[in-house]
Amino acid sequence: MTTVILLTVTGLVSGLAIGIVVKFYGTTPNPLEEKLLELVPGANCGGCGFAGCEGYAKAMAEGSAKPGACPLMNDAVVQEICALLGVESEARKPMVAIVCCSGDDDHAQRMAFYNGVNDCQNAMLVAGGGKGCVYGCLGLGSCARACPYGAIEIRPNHIAVVHPELCVGCGKCVLACPRRLIKLTPKSAPVHVFCSSPERGALKRKFCSAACIGCRKCVKEAGEDQVSMNGALAAINYDNPPDAGVAAACPTGALRTTAVMESTRG
Amino acid sequence: MISEYAALIVGAILVNNFVLSRILGICPFLGVSKKLSTALGMGGAVIFVMTLSGLATALFHHLILIPLGLGYLQTIVFILVIAALVQIVEVLMQRFTPPLYRALGIFLPLITTNCAVLGSAIMCADNGYGIVKSTVFCSASAVGFALALVLFASVREKLELARIPEPLQGPSIALLTAATLAMAFSGFAGLGG
Amino acid sequence: MIKQLHFYGGIHPVEDKVAQSVPIVEPPILETYMVPLQQHIGAPAKAVVAKGDQVKRGQLLGEAQGFVSAPVHAPTSGVIREVTTCLGPSGAQVPALLLASDGEDAPADPMPAIDWHQASPGDLRQRISAAGIVGKGGAAFPTVVKLSPPPNKKIDTLILNGVECEPCLTADHRLMLERAADIVTGAQITARILGAKKIIIGIENNKPDAIEVMRQAGADYGIEVCSLRVRYPQGAEKQLIYAVTGRKVPSGGLPADIGCLVQNVGTAAAIADAVCLGKPLYERVTTVTGTPLVSPGNWRFRVGTTYSEAIKLAGGVKEDPIKIISGGPMMGMAVYSLDIPIIKSTSGILLLSKDELTQFAVRPCIRCGRCNDSCPMGMMPGILSVQIENQRYELAEKWHVMDCIECGCCAYTCPASRPLVQHLRRAKAEVQAARRAAKAKAEK
Repeated sequence: MTTVILLTVTGLVSGLAIGIVVKFYGTTPNPLEEKLLELVPGANCGGCGFAGCEGYAKAMAEGSAKPGACPLMNDAVVQEICALLGVESEARKPMVAIVCCSGDDDHAQRMAFYNGVNDCQNAMLVAGGGKGCVYGCLGLGSCARACPYGAIEIRPNHIAVVHPELCVGCGKCVLACPRRLIKLTPKSAPVHVFCSSPERGALKRKFCSAACIGCRKCVKEAGEDQVSMNGALAAINYDNPPDAGVAAACPTGALRTTAVMESTRG
Repeated sequence: MISEYAALIVGAILVNNFVLSRILGICPFLGVSKKLSTALGMGGAVIFVMTLSGLATALFHHLILIPLGLGYLQTIVFILVIAALVQIVEVLMQRFTPPLYRALGIFLPLITTNCAVLGSAIMCADNGYGIVKSTVFCSASAVGFALALVLFASVREKLELARIPEPLQGPSIALLTAATLAMAFSGFAGLGG
Repeated sequence: MIKQLHFYGGIHPVEDKVAQSVPIVEPPILETYMVPLQQHIGAPAKAVVAKGDQVKRGQLLGEAQGFVSAPVHAPTSGVIREVTTCLGPSGAQVPALLLASDGEDAPADPMPAIDWHQASPGDLRQRISAAGIVGKGGAAFPTVVKLSPPPNKKIDTLILNGVECEPCLTADHRLMLERAADIVTGAQITARILGAKKIIIGIENNKPDAIEVMRQAGADYGIEVCSLRVRYPQGAEKQLIYAVTGRKVPSGGLPADIGCLVQNVGTAAAIADAVCLGKPLYERVTTVTGTPLVSPGNWRFRVGTTYSEAIKLAGGVKEDPIKIISGGPMMGMAVYSLDIPIIKSTSGILLLSKDELTQFAVRPCIRCGRCNDSCPMGMMPGILSVQIENQRYELAEKWHVMDCIECGCCAYTCPASRPLVQHLRRAKAEVQAARRAAKAKAEK
């Protein structure tokens, strides 16, 4: 009997003590934040612009961030968050990264042999990496290492290629490339210009046989409102992109549909 | 008397270190030791909890359980007391040190079921230590726990930068390190008589 | 007197000073000069001439943009053929002017000579700025900025750097032998600008002839010559100050913080030219050396001379070089084209043959600690390189990576052939970028 009384009393006293402490020192959790924390994907990729999923959830709860910035969330989840926060959702365009260079070892010239740390940003410290075209991909893998989803492949002939089916468009690779070659483009666009050099066509051709030489054949084929020339470099208008057929007009293969350069072209 | 307490303290911290000699409290040892700052925080929390729980359980044991002849209830009652204490510590931590609270995460409430905390309390009861001696013993054990944790965390921070072979990455290398630390601490055997 | 004080660490690479005994040669005027508008640290100069303009030797071609910048002057008389860009030693394209010489080498009117004994420091500074003088030890920092420390930092000791610890380079050695009086004058002018009471010239004791010549030249003016023990990098600023005065530059600080200033002997001579003769800076002594060369030596090249022309003057090559370095083997930069022009800071052109070059595979750090023993700044390059490989740049910052002077001692001693200097340079770039980003965020 004493046992029962003792245990009951101890339990009651402990409960009371906890209750008092909670009353005076307890913190009230934000239920909205709790719910948002459940809905964020938890990959911590940083694509939303915040340090991690927790940061994004907090910012949304505070009202300083909009839902929809997360590239991993599907539309249903975004709608749910919008309903929770009481905001209107905006239409999102899925984006995918593109490495705007075709200059692999089979097509581009190297001026010097680089012997050092196998990283593009490190290679830039040594006379710019030794590639003939100073706007070209060094192919040493800074972008591949930065990608949290393993979507970038560094091919044996030293060129980086993004696999669009794995890419979510978080943008980490864009920051990692020391030559700023990677662009985020809409997933729906059928063709891209895989060259970034603004130099004169003849000069570009000297260093790389897969460069955009500024011949304007694509502009003639598709029209100024779909493909325009930025100096000697073709630029796709992603709001009104041309269809895949225009790739046949390109003599060097710089404008094409797939990221991987076919070995028969150029 | 001093030498008795000195032997008790040295014994609890070094010779019979709770983590490395008695293999108690391994859960937070492996779970919170990735970063030195978190390990220090956890060590501090455990010292706080164990000292208080040592005192509280010793008081309970000597003032209530033994006079009433209910010594067999020590397990249940001790767990109750420790659980309440840890809850209070949790609430206070959430209020006053939120970053540490978030960093410790699930391991803070796990102190409740931590065999080191309960173990030291039960050891004091079984060895018939008085109230003061119990408190000193539990406090010293907690210091030993924190010491082992800090040492382990420092080594793990360095391991993060090392090139570990793939089969050994993760928990394997951590356990191997813990084993090496335990071997090192076994060198203290026989110290303090 | 010989100073026993020397710094912690350092190495003893092979000196290879082949061109030591070759007097400075004045090369003939070339057909064209590609004059870069960026030959210094800071903003590039802005061109004040256009295509087709006639210019005379020493005429202003580009004016300084802002305080940390320097003007550029014509190396010879002729016509500006093109306003274009050229390849710089860092691998980047820099704005440049292609000057086609007319062979006359007619001088422009020199700036009026200044009696520096009477002139104010302000006037002297202005002359140094107008003459486009930059540090000729390799860094090319605009000298007028260096000679304008903040008013709360008083300089009491001027140290002239005649150490030339870099292997293979001999330009400063020959300059000291041949223009000792000008160097002493330049040092005195600099001391007058700074208000420094003491002038010391530091020379490594492997150049006994230079020590003797400079001692005699400076004896009448109370200028001390300090003979220093040979060790690389004795010529690095912080190590030189410590060896000569026993003072240590604080981490992240400047020599001005402890009342010292270091100046290269070439810069001193250029200052003397600018003040006493009104001559701007458009030429410098460069060592062209290396086993593949027919006749290595030292030349007083005008800026804009391309490396290929310089090598031709050195008699050309007897075997194909596998590596071309702008500067010395320890701190120079590898380049891949000979169309790069010589600029105000090009101390040497070094060619390496196939047998002299070692290709390496990057291996893991074996924690031997040789790099720690040899680092003159007392850092731990091995640990830092492991942190940097794991991209822990904030950890590297805590371990003092920003104190690195990129001397190369660590990479030289590493038995695992790790590219330590490259790792450290990468970390410094990342830390600086992070600091800039944090500053921008704080200002918002």
